[in-house]
Amino acid sequence: MSAELLINKVSKEFPGVLALNEVNLTLTGGTVHALLGENGAGKSTLIKIITGIYLADSGSLKVSGQEKRFHNPIESTHAGIAVVHQERNLIPEFSVEENITLHNPPLKLGIINRKERTRLAKQALETLGFEIDLNERVKNLSVAQMQLVEIAKALVTNAKIILLDEPTASITGSETSKLFDVIKRLKSQGTAILFVSHKLEEVYEICDTVTVLRDGVSVLESKSLADYKQGEIVDLMVGRHLAERKNIIRKVDRKATPVIELKNLQTSLGHRNISLSLYPGEVLGMYGLVGAGRSELARSILGLHAITGGEILVNGSVVKIRNFTEALHNYRIGYVTENRKEEGLFLDFPVRKNISVTILAKILQRLSVINPKKEDDIATKYVDRLGIKVVDNNQLALTLSGGNQQKVSVSKWLAAETKILIIDEPTVGVDVRTKASFHELITELANEGLSIILISSDLAEMVAVADRILVMRRYEIVGDLDNSKDYQNMSRSIMNSIQAV
Amino acid sequence: MKLKKILNDQRVVLTLLTIGLFIFFGLRNSAFFNVDFVIYPLLRDGATLTVIGLAQLCVLSIGHLNLAVGRMAAVSALVAGASYQYWGLTLVQGAILGVLAGALLGAITGWIIVKSQVNAFIVTLAMDFALLGLVTFIYVTFTGATAAFTTKPAGMDYWRSKSLKDFCVAGICGPKSIPMMLLPAIICLILVSFMFSRTRLGRELLSTGSNLRAAKLSGIPVENRVMTAHIFSGTLAGIGGLMLAYANGSFTAAIGSQVMLPSFLGPVLGGTLLAGGAVAVLGTFIGTMMTLVIRQGLSVQGIGLETLNIALGLVLLLALSVGQIQKMFTSIKLRGKK
Ligand SMILES: Nc1ncnc2c1ncn2[C@@H]1O[C@H](COP(=O)(O)OP(=O)(O)OP(=O)(O)O)[C@@H](O)[C@H]1O
Ligand SMILES: [Mg+2]
Repeated sequence: MSAELLINKVSKEFPGVLALNEVNLTLTGGTVHALLGENGAGKSTLIKIITGIYLADSGSLKVSGQEKRFHNPIESTHAGIAVVHQERNLIPEFSVEENITLHNPPLKLGIINRKERTRLAKQALETLGFEIDLNERVKNLSVAQMQLVEIAKALVTNAKIILLDEPTASITGSETSKLFDVIKRLKSQGTAILFVSHKLEEVYEICDTVTVLRDGVSVLESKSLADYKQGEIVDLMVGRHLAERKNIIRKVDRKATPVIELKNLQTSLGHRNISLSLYPGEVLGMYGLVGAGRSELARSILGLHAITGGEILVNGSVVKIRNFTEALHNYRIGYVTENRKEEGLFLDFPVRKNISVTILAKILQRLSVINPKKEDDIATKYVDRLGIKVVDNNQLALTLSGGNQQKVSVSKWLAAETKILIIDEPTVGVDVRTKASFHELITELANEGLSIILISSDLAEMVAVADRILVMRRYEIVGDLDNSKDYQNMSRSIMNSIQAV
Repeated sequence: MKLKKILNDQRVVLTLLTIGLFIFFGLRNSAFFNVDFVIYPLLRDGATLTVIGLAQLCVLSIGHLNLAVGRMAAVSALVAGASYQYWGLTLVQGAILGVLAGALLGAITGWIIVKSQVNAFIVTLAMDFALLGLVTFIYVTFTGATAAFTTKPAGMDYWRSKSLKDFCVAGICGPKSIPMMLLPAIICLILVSFMFSRTRLGRELLSTGSNLRAAKLSGIPVENRVMTAHIFSGTLAGIGGLMLAYANGSFTAAIGSQVMLPSFLGPVLGGTLLAGGAVAVLGTFIGTMMTLVIRQGLSVQGIGLETLNIALGLVLLLALSVGQIQKMFTSIKLRGKK
């Protein structure tokens, strides 16, 4: 097999970090190559160098045997490289169809051929098996749907080389398996595919070869994945042996007054008869497929969408929460968004200011002045606790790796020390080690009395940390299961309740 | 290394540029160094325009703009002028009333934006038209052909013409070139700078400007902050309006009619983002001074009005690019050493 893409001793330095240090990678046609590594290891940086977003400081790049140096993404697209970046790059005001065909819209006499465009976009979505309205504006889509559009956009191009940077981070199992069907077909047609993911089960399912990065160094270079056990790969990424964690069943007092109770709640978005209780110190999981209405329910509780029927009780009394400010200050409820880039972070602010935003009231000195020392201390506390990889607390959020941005977005809500926390897809793009310590942290916080609603599309995560799992489907709750913390068992019952209705 | 860092600061570059231009113009024509006719009025205008620039900066901080700054200034002057003419208020009483009128207008604007969800551009544009009509109407109705309130309360001329030379401590007096009018501008600069860089309110405003959705989801009362920004803007526009009127010597409908575009120049040259989330308070002063030095410098050279405007436009374009050019250099560095 010929090497479609050859990366030789590529290095890249940012102020304060050597993101890539003489990295080598060989990508062959007809194979799926896994690029693995912890948050901040340099995976996205490598992909951005291949696609001409960054220029390498040194090293060389060969595409189909020819030495190349891309100065911008257009050059790499012309060389037959398609990419799904970790951060979504869609135009919110454009329709799904326009976004999918953005890079090379079909032209007729220099004018966009709309019929052909519709056909192309439709075909792309159909081959992927995704059902999304072609005329919907992207800004109205859910995060997962946007991700699907992003994937479709890369796949319409007939590229020889496809780079996928965490394409499955925010979609569920069923969409992932549809994506994998397409990947397998492309592979059989001889396409070279680079696949980045923190979900190792997936990696083993789809990938043939593997490269592991650790702190910018390729510690395993283009080896056959079958020769390595999952544990070995993890140890290579982390640089030491990582012990497995046991799941213990926690005791939750369900006789206590629920901290949050919903009674027959209905919303303007179409939720019907939603009743649930969250008890003190409980971790309540909410599982469902894309479009099940979980995030939308959380946001409705916090006043973002109108409640059209039923009631919400906090600590036993009926309440009306109008916005997030009231939720935070009057009821001590926090919400960690699933959409870190658009809703979770102030990208042009430093890490310090991103973390302190929810607790400004607590770090004031005279004249309502923010105490810089207290602010910095709190930032440092969470940077250490979640292992956020930063040069210092003043590094701009924009320049963090995706997983580290996610940790910052979660940190600000941990810092808020609320009574109730609704966490929406907290570990999207977070590496194996941090994920484990994050799960420990959730359990720890629950033991300290924090009540948590955990929305996650990661079934393993759900089973690892939730005490009870609610299953949602099409804006209704269709299952309420006690978590036995046995993965096989639970995943079967959950799937059953999704399909039962 | 350290020098490089200092030179990377847009404010330092602007200051050096301004001083350089000042000396350049002075060397070409020594009339430019005249204290009474050039330097004093330059600084006095600079003081006023800085305050109005700050009024613009307050709304820029949340990513809005205020096209009605000039007209808010006019209303404030109108209210103060009327209070001197008809109600016989003292200088300070009238000034307070005028500034309150500005604040009220800001509040109304903010409230309309929040409630109607209409873009600030449209709302303030509409506000500008409405106020223009109102102000002219009132002047004409009450004063007929003069179209001005001419009563000067005691002390008004002090602000118009006095300098630090008249301000003596233990027999030592300040230079004649520094107008008293600079004092309110400096106070505004200090307060606004303190608010944005140190206080919770400032942080909340900037967060709202940086990412509205994230701010909202972080529990920041974004609607209140939109109101706050516009109230500050109206207040500062009001102060600016009074300064304009005092410098002018009478209260007319023309006050503030020339300041809307300049109100953007100072903040933006100084490094304030139009998109919100970052402000340059001191930069506003420096940027304002630079535009004035260029304008005055060119006109002292005896350049005709058209040529002057062309030259001014070119120089401004160049100055505005300073930040962009710097960014280009840093990004080249980021992209690799080759
Ligand atoms: N524009 C930038 N400026 C400064 N530092 C940067 C920039 N982009 C990336 N970095 C740094 O380079 C390192 C590698 O980042 P990269 O995004 O490649 O990590 P990653 O392996 O993709 O991680 P993740 O799994 O979290 O997505 C990180 O330490 C990051 O902070
Ligand atoms: Mg990445």
